[in-house]
Amino acid sequence: MEILLQLIYSGIALGMIYAVIAFGYQLTFATSDTLNFGQGEALMLGALVGLSLVDTGGMNYWLAIPVVGAFGLIQGALVERVGVRPAIKLKSEFGWIMSTIALGIIFKNVAENIWGRDDLRFPSPLDESPIKLFGANVLPMELLVIGGALLMMLLIEFFNRKTIFGKAVVATFNDREAARLMGINTSLVITFSYALSSMTAAFAGILVAPLTLTGATMGSVLGLKAFAVAIIGGLTSGLGIVVGGILLGVAETTTGFYISTGYKDVPGLVLLLLVLAVRPAGLFGKSAIKKV
Amino acid sequence: MRQHSSSWAALAWVLAVLIPLAIQNPYYIHLVETIMIYSILLFGLDIVVGYTGQVSLGHAGLFGIGAYTAGVMFMKLSASVWLVLPCSIAVTALFGAILALPALRVSGPYLAMVTLAFGTIVQILINEMTFLTEGPLGIKISKPVMFGDKLTEREFYWVVCVMLGLALIFVHRLLRSHLGRAFEALKGSPVASDCMGVSVYRYKVYAFVISAGLAGLAGSLYAYSEQYISPNTYNFELTVLFLLAIIMGGRKTRSGAIIGATIIVMLPKLLDDIELFRWVATTAAVVIAAGAAVGLQKQWTHPKAVVIPVVGTLALAVFSYQLQNMTDWRLSIFGLMILFVVYYLQDGIVGFLSKLSPQGEVKMDSSATKIATQAAELSPGSHALGGEDHLSTSRSSNPVILNAQSVLMQFGGLKAINNVDLVIKRGEIHGLIGPNGSGKSTMMNVLTGIYQPTDGQIEFNAKTLVGRASSDIALSGIARTFQNVQLFGEMTVLQNVLVGLHHTFESPLWNVALHTPSYLREESEANTRAHALLEFVGLDSLALELAHNLPYGKQRLLEIARALALSPELLLLDEPAAGLTAPDIKELITYIRKIRDSGVTVILIEHHMDVVMGICDTVSVLDFGQKIAEGKPAEVQANEKVITAYLGGSTITA
Repeated sequence: MEILLQLIYSGIALGMIYAVIAFGYQLTFATSDTLNFGQGEALMLGALVGLSLVDTGGMNYWLAIPVVGAFGLIQGALVERVGVRPAIKLKSEFGWIMSTIALGIIFKNVAENIWGRDDLRFPSPLDESPIKLFGANVLPMELLVIGGALLMMLLIEFFNRKTIFGKAVVATFNDREAARLMGINTSLVITFSYALSSMTAAFAGILVAPLTLTGATMGSVLGLKAFAVAIIGGLTSGLGIVVGGILLGVAETTTGFYISTGYKDVPGLVLLLLVLAVRPAGLFGKSAIKKV
Repeated sequence: MRQHSSSWAALAWVLAVLIPLAIQNPYYIHLVETIMIYSILLFGLDIVVGYTGQVSLGHAGLFGIGAYTAGVMFMKLSASVWLVLPCSIAVTALFGAILALPALRVSGPYLAMVTLAFGTIVQILINEMTFLTEGPLGIKISKPVMFGDKLTEREFYWVVCVMLGLALIFVHRLLRSHLGRAFEALKGSPVASDCMGVSVYRYKVYAFVISAGLAGLAGSLYAYSEQYISPNTYNFELTVLFLLAIIMGGRKTRSGAIIGATIIVMLPKLLDDIELFRWVATTAAVVIAAGAAVGLQKQWTHPKAVVIPVVGTLALAVFSYQLQNMTDWRLSIFGLMILFVVYYLQDGIVGFLSKLSPQGEVKMDSSATKIATQAAELSPGSHALGGEDHLSTSRSSNPVILNAQSVLMQFGGLKAINNVDLVIKRGEIHGLIGPNGSGKSTMMNVLTGIYQPTDGQIEFNAKTLVGRASSDIALSGIARTFQNVQLFGEMTVLQNVLVGLHHTFESPLWNVALHTPSYLREESEANTRAHALLEFVGLDSLALELAHNLPYGKQRLLEIARALALSPELLLLDEPAAGLTAPDIKELITYIRKIRDSGVTVILIEHHMDVVMGICDTVSVLDFGQKIAEGKPAEVQANEKVITAYLGGSTITA
């Protein structure tokens, strides 16, 4: 029982990371109906840049977080400018899928050449001895991940709902053409949503790095499983991704423990196939009405 | 052109067969063999990516399943190659079906992610299921035994040659058949495909399964070719390489697939040789810069468009001299190539070359022309409306063909159709009019199954339509046109009508592949009928033109011809006169009358009142989702409610 509870704790922490990446998918999908297939690589870059700042640069972990966030903003804007904007202009779905994949591959390869192919250890900013919570062990870092992820998502939700720029984002989501006619610079909004999306991913990267190993290949599968979460939660539901993330995170840690770590990625991917088979709009999303 | 390209293909194939006689070095033979194996897979991938327009990131996984089916059968059962190849195809096709059935309910980014997830699962399973696959250790396989002898490297090369030839013929025939047309149609306009009785979902799955089968064949050949398989080969990188090959070579061409395969096989070798790479990068930079200079001078392009490729290739050339070792940067080069192809070479190398050469522009199809002349020799218009046989057999005595009772269609709080009854009598032209937004087109969409009504009963020939799929409804005898034209733009006028005739084909896949007499007869009958239908609407001279090149009015006529190809009992025309000139409208009226006279019941939505009043037997008027009047045209015209609805309340008192 204690072990199960412990697995649930780390499952929740992992699930919050998925939720944050899935949140990033939602941000860009909301404004432009596109996704960054290199979202996992944005996370990986955030973690590795953070590692360089903390380990090589000797910077304080907490100070490194905003720097990594700023890096994510720039990286996301770059992805949008190079990979997505031309494809939106060409109205080519195939185009943005392929170009964000291509950029993801390039980022991964560049990271391999800069930081090497081996996984690196990220020094933990918090005490690494577990604390007892309801009779089971939990790492302080896991609590930080949960709290940090929730805070991040709440802040962006607040921004979108309360500020005028956020309203422009929401308007662009509702009707891109109408928003443009109302004088909203929709292409800037889309760039901004990509910047925000990569920033959340980079933030998730530096949050999760002390819990796992850091390396160029850490992002790909995370990005894919976060997509499963985004689908399970529905690409339009904020609550959905938190629930979906936790579901998947717990499913994964328990599978890893009770069956085999080799199979730990399987439940998420199978869940993705199943949800799409049963409810393509996700468990929490609303299905769109097709127009003729 | 077709005979031309087939003879070129035959010549190229013979040359490929002769290679081992000219070149003794087994390394090069193996290289060409790998290119051919990848080509088989790419033929299949092209069906999914090029023809149906779906993005699959799961083909490396399917390739792996094919390879491991061969490997496991060899290792565990010592099975003969005659059994291994068909089993690999069948097993991979089965996995393709398991993936396609849930995944193809969605499209675009969803499908890409789902297929990617599938590929990842396959890799994990191969790695973990050590009792079957030996896991990371991999499986050793020896060359197959055929006719009592173990094949040499060179003999196996010829086996691959034969397989490539067979795959080429199979894919070529498939894509020119009604199945290939269905694939293209569902990409061109999913809604129209469904309403032509070509179920989008079913044919997407069909295409994917065929594609998976080819991937399985390629995978098993690959296992024999390499003689060693291990899980890490079938990774994300390979799947991206396959897509790069398809888009770089050129979609929807077999030569493009072969060029693409050559590029992805040769490229890693090229990158291993830094000297060669420097040379190629420099040449590419010079060629692109020169091309841009010429383009600017002749004003084909503008400076902004060429600056990125020129700077990019120059930077790459400079970069190549800075590096000692290219291998580490291999993936970045792939990434850059994908970006380049996606933005600057969308039609691939084959598409680019055919744009350059003038005869590439003309998409003449000699076989089609031949059939066209044959059709012209037949008495014009004799079978135009599908032949009386169909109508006489299906015509029942019931005078009511369509009976809709208290239909309610609600979108959120909006009642687009509010308790409307609609009774259509057999053999009449029934007008459906009303101001914009009154629910006419929604009614059409409900009748054709695009929307499921919130409530109410709809019976067609005494059978309910509620809950049935669009394609099913279409096949039961309801055809339609669309308010905003939904043609298959990249297909010819003739092919558009042939998609409508899809229901006349009964040949299964193997008949198509073998070109059996029954299939060939179906094809030629469909062609004759398609030409007759085109003649009926006066488009036969444009049969080989691409549909999106037609002027708007003619596009509308083509939609009518395509709808008639379904041999419908009930034809729904959604604003057929919109955008037509006055003489065209007159012609349209005669067409509609002829259609009615041949026994087809017509529902006509139209804003041109002269048309409606001139030809309709009965007219129903909708306003704000409710039926406000019904009767003979003259009665409706005099109805005060109708006048109010159209002209507003104040005019009536004036």
